[in-house]
Amino acid sequence: MKVLGALGRVARRAINFLRRDKKAAVGAVIIFALALVAAFPSWFMPHDPTAEIYTPGAGLSLNHLLGTTSFGQDVFSQVIAGTRESFLIAMIVGALTTVISVVIGLSAAYSGGLVDDGLSLLTDVVLVIPTFPLIIVITAYVKNASFWMLIFVLVFTGWSYGARQLRVQALSLRNRDYLLAARARGESGFYVVFVELLPPMTSLIVANFLSSALYAVLAASGLQFVGLGNINDQSWGTMLYWAQNNEALATGLPLWALAPGVAIAILGSGLALLNYAFDEIANPALRPVRARRKVVAA
Amino acid sequence: MRGTLRAGLVGSALALVASTFVMISSGTVVLATSSAAGASTQAPLNLANEQGLLWPCTFNPFNPSDAAYSVGVTYETLDFVDALNNAKVTPWLASSYAWSNSNKTLTFTIRSGVKWTDGTPLTAADVAYTFNLIKKNAALDVNAVWTVLSSVKQSGANKVVFTFKTAAVPFFYYVAGQTPIVPEHIWSKIKNPVTDPVKNPLGSGGYIMSKCTSENIQWTANPHYWQPGLGAVKVVNMPAFLSNNTCNEYLATGKSAWGSQFIPNIKSYYVAKKPGNSYWFAPVANVVLFPNLKVAPLNDVAVRKAISYGINRAQVSKIGEYGYEPPATQTGIVTPTFSSWSSSVASTAAGTSYNPSKAKSILTADGYKMDSSGYFAKGGKELALTIITNGGYSDWVAAMQVVSQELKRVGIKASVDGVAATNFYSDVYAGKFQLAYNAEAGGPAPFYEMRQWLYSKNSAPIGTAASSNWERFSSPAVDALLNQYTATTSSATQHSIINQLQMVMVNQVPVIPLLEEVDWFQYNSKQYTGFPGPGNEYAQPGLYNIPDWGVVLLHLKPVK
Amino acid sequence: MRFLVRRLGFLLVALWAALTVNFFIPRLMPGNPAEAMMATFRGHVNPAAMHALEVAFGVNTHESLPRQYIAYVGNTLTGHLGNSTSYSLLPVSTVIMKALPWSLGLVGITTILGFVLGTTIGAISAWRRGGALDSVLPPVFIVISAFPYFWIGLLAVWLFALTLNWFPLQFGYTETTVPALTWGFVGDVLDHAVLPAMTILITAIGGWILTMRNNMITVVAEDYVKMARAKGLKPRRILWQYAGRNALLPNLTGFAISLGFVISGAILVEYVFNYPGVGFMLLQSVQDQDYPLMQSLFLLITVAVLMAIFLSDIATAILDPRTRSSS
Repeated sequence: MKVLGALGRVARRAINFLRRDKKAAVGAVIIFALALVAAFPSWFMPHDPTAEIYTPGAGLSLNHLLGTTSFGQDVFSQVIAGTRESFLIAMIVGALTTVISVVIGLSAAYSGGLVDDGLSLLTDVVLVIPTFPLIIVITAYVKNASFWMLIFVLVFTGWSYGARQLRVQALSLRNRDYLLAARARGESGFYVVFVELLPPMTSLIVANFLSSALYAVLAASGLQFVGLGNINDQSWGTMLYWAQNNEALATGLPLWALAPGVAIAILGSGLALLNYAFDEIANPALRPVRARRKVVAA
Repeated sequence: MRGTLRAGLVGSALALVASTFVMISSGTVVLATSSAAGASTQAPLNLANEQGLLWPCTFNPFNPSDAAYSVGVTYETLDFVDALNNAKVTPWLASSYAWSNSNKTLTFTIRSGVKWTDGTPLTAADVAYTFNLIKKNAALDVNAVWTVLSSVKQSGANKVVFTFKTAAVPFFYYVAGQTPIVPEHIWSKIKNPVTDPVKNPLGSGGYIMSKCTSENIQWTANPHYWQPGLGAVKVVNMPAFLSNNTCNEYLATGKSAWGSQFIPNIKSYYVAKKPGNSYWFAPVANVVLFPNLKVAPLNDVAVRKAISYGINRAQVSKIGEYGYEPPATQTGIVTPTFSSWSSSVASTAAGTSYNPSKAKSILTADGYKMDSSGYFAKGGKELALTIITNGGYSDWVAAMQVVSQELKRVGIKASVDGVAATNFYSDVYAGKFQLAYNAEAGGPAPFYEMRQWLYSKNSAPIGTAASSNWERFSSPAVDALLNQYTATTSSATQHSIINQLQMVMVNQVPVIPLLEEVDWFQYNSKQYTGFPGPGNEYAQPGLYNIPDWGVVLLHLKPVK
Repeated sequence: MRFLVRRLGFLLVALWAALTVNFFIPRLMPGNPAEAMMATFRGHVNPAAMHALEVAFGVNTHESLPRQYIAYVGNTLTGHLGNSTSYSLLPVSTVIMKALPWSLGLVGITTILGFVLGTTIGAISAWRRGGALDSVLPPVFIVISAFPYFWIGLLAVWLFALTLNWFPLQFGYTETTVPALTWGFVGDVLDHAVLPAMTILITAIGGWILTMRNNMITVVAEDYVKMARAKGLKPRRILWQYAGRNALLPNLTGFAISLGFVISGAILVEYVFNYPGVGFMLLQSVQDQDYPLMQSLFLLITVAVLMAIFLSDIATAILDPRTRSSS
């Protein structure tokens, strides 16, 4: 009950903040719109994205809003179809990394001592190993970089930054009075961590979720762009792979290469804007300053 | 902080300059010199050959990944066999040859007057040495010539006698046309000819490798070459390109006059950009679907026939390869290159190559029924197949995606798996696939490709790597035909055998040829003359064809 | 001193972890380097020759796993990194040296430039809160940081190289010129470096500006800054010598960690521009399945990042007395 109450308070605060902050509002609208497209792509797709039956290399037209590829496929339909995979990767990786970061970060901060030392060492080691090269090396050994393998790799390399941040904040909260009171009451460690420690950190956790999601989108599309993903998939990164391999830019089909990038950027901006807004919730000093009108001496 | 800021900016500037020096001095420093050979004002010929890596600057002619950069230009062969002109033989280092002893002995007369570029004469001793070097080091025998040879000996001052275990006339191509002759006085001092990088190749050929950096290989014309009328181009550059796009740009903007590139939309991207930009794609082999004959349902000839009739090869070529690779025929004969071998009987028996209704009726007659999802099924099992192909060749993947859509339309549920190169080859060699899209090496006549496809001894059980015949086809009758061909030099016998093999292709469908693989070739006729072309197919024009590209290079002349 | 010793210890652990990861990954999915070589021959090798090659290059040992591990660690530490299967079995160290200088130049310069410019702009924009810079920059850079590095590179290629023809399309310098110590060559190198460097800068700088800005804002709210203002010190002096210095400190540690991100982004930028650096070589080695080269490149990048972290730790220790005294 108390957990729900705490979450409810935070949710209400967040919604009020979204209403006031333009950046956050724009971000939220973008994410909601993309979620809609990801859930019901057939509502928005004028054609079958894989059908190679249209005129190859056609320019803009009412029938083909973004032209066609050199294989005769409709670019606009492909962009719509690709939304689902990119959106899912963002959300799933974001969620999983956040859960892992929360568990490890909070446990480390709460337990202290050897457990803390051990978990911190693990976190820092995973943190310093350069992620993209590691991702490249791992996917190179996997025969089929399927959707779930991609997610596994991104989660495996992406949790450490959040864990570090959360641990630091949890440490600063650890010795607050109300926590000591809860321990004195005899509440279990689990209760203290997840019911008392977690709620004040919500905005940081949400910010973490959003930045992990953003990282996942960019890393996944990068991998697919160089051909390490599954090139039969419908996704923005794979579109870029095919466009690059068929010299879209140089053969007069620039939209084929540019459109998926813009789509990635739209999803990324939505996440980044929301992330920025939650940063501001977490740190009030960052909130925008309303310019005060200067009082001019008469 | 101001002081720190200034320090930071100064530091950055210094770092910029320092890094540039680091880049330059890192072992790639060569003081600029004027061009060596001939000190002519002739502009160098730049080649466009993208290999996706920086040059390792190793030139071992027996190492298949290095051979392209030394065999033909620097190292030469006994004869030149032209795959595009009915295996026409042009004497090269050997001025003549003769078969004897029921085609079990081959005697070459070595040309006199040929010198290695260090002035030492090239003699029969070098030829015998080369082949015995290969015999001693099995890793050098990439063409497996010693599976048929029993001895190679010098005879007299200028003859070399090759004795075969059994008659193997087609091996002439590998022995005379594909084996680089190396100098005994240099190679006898090399400790390990298999692993030696051969950084300074010394041969008898028309071009000397004069300079090699990671980014560029440069050859200069051999001033004492034994064919004095050839080799008008004095300096040749082959820069390293890391990806197709950049190499294509280099070619299209006229910086290079000879390329071997896959260029999308070649007419607008390349031909239109500069006067004289032309291309010629000559087909040399088939790219085929290998069905795994040991695995159901592909062991059923009806299924294979249905697949063959169900694919619109012209569409696959148009969408997957921009129409550059002509559709193949089920008889397996590459046209127009090997049209003279085509059997009208077999072509008639095959009928129209794209016949979806025939495909469906073949399956229906075999007991298949269309199920509710629109695919054929027999005994409860849907006809679902996976096609694997080399994931690194995006055009092959694109072609296979078209194939899978075509097959779905005739009721076969085909899916495509673009496998990473090493895994792909190891799966293909070991027979771990249902359908695999790949090409054999081929040769200067249909026999070579057919033998690679059909000879049972090339194959191996599933799980063991086979050098070819990956579909695991085995027929004693076919083996006998192939052996008969090997033993004869009679053109009539050869044609009769190939006709019979074409009927095997049509009736038994051991492999399903889809497209004809071409030599990628772009050239600018306004900058150089002498390139091969339709009507003048004197050599294969790809920069990876050995020793052909060396031969082409010798025939080029800059346009004044 | 204790601080540095601890950090050094940590880095050694991280290095050991990277080595171990590098060791185990290929053994989870064995890739026979001889078969990898076969792929580069386009299949034109008969199995007997293949086997002979394997023997010649010492592939397929059958030692126990712990022994292999010890041999592997020993070989790596002494620089015996194996032979590259995609570069005709040249030693990996030779192959890497072909690409290393280019990456050092490109990544090194852009990271330093990005850091200097980014922190400067971030500090200024934070100092003038509510001003033009402060309201425009954050949203602009948020949006830019949402674009993938490589896509900005593609855009730059299309706009500046293909359409406007202002800069060359690719590579480190004009392909057929011989590298030499002439001003012409230096100019050529710089000409080819502009677009890749700009691409990395644009995407990396946003992060610097925003973190510096956020740090500055927190610092500016502190009491001692108010005190400095009350004392009447010149604003510029306060900005750089009081607030800036303290805001910079957390950035320094972040700087080294972000080096990892810059390198990651640089890999894709090198791919788009075919800049012949280490990142591009890593991608090519993956596509050619040249495992010895790929693993060594991964190790090299890891070591570089770890070194950068250690150097920044030293810098932090020098600049921030608090780290020296705290445990």
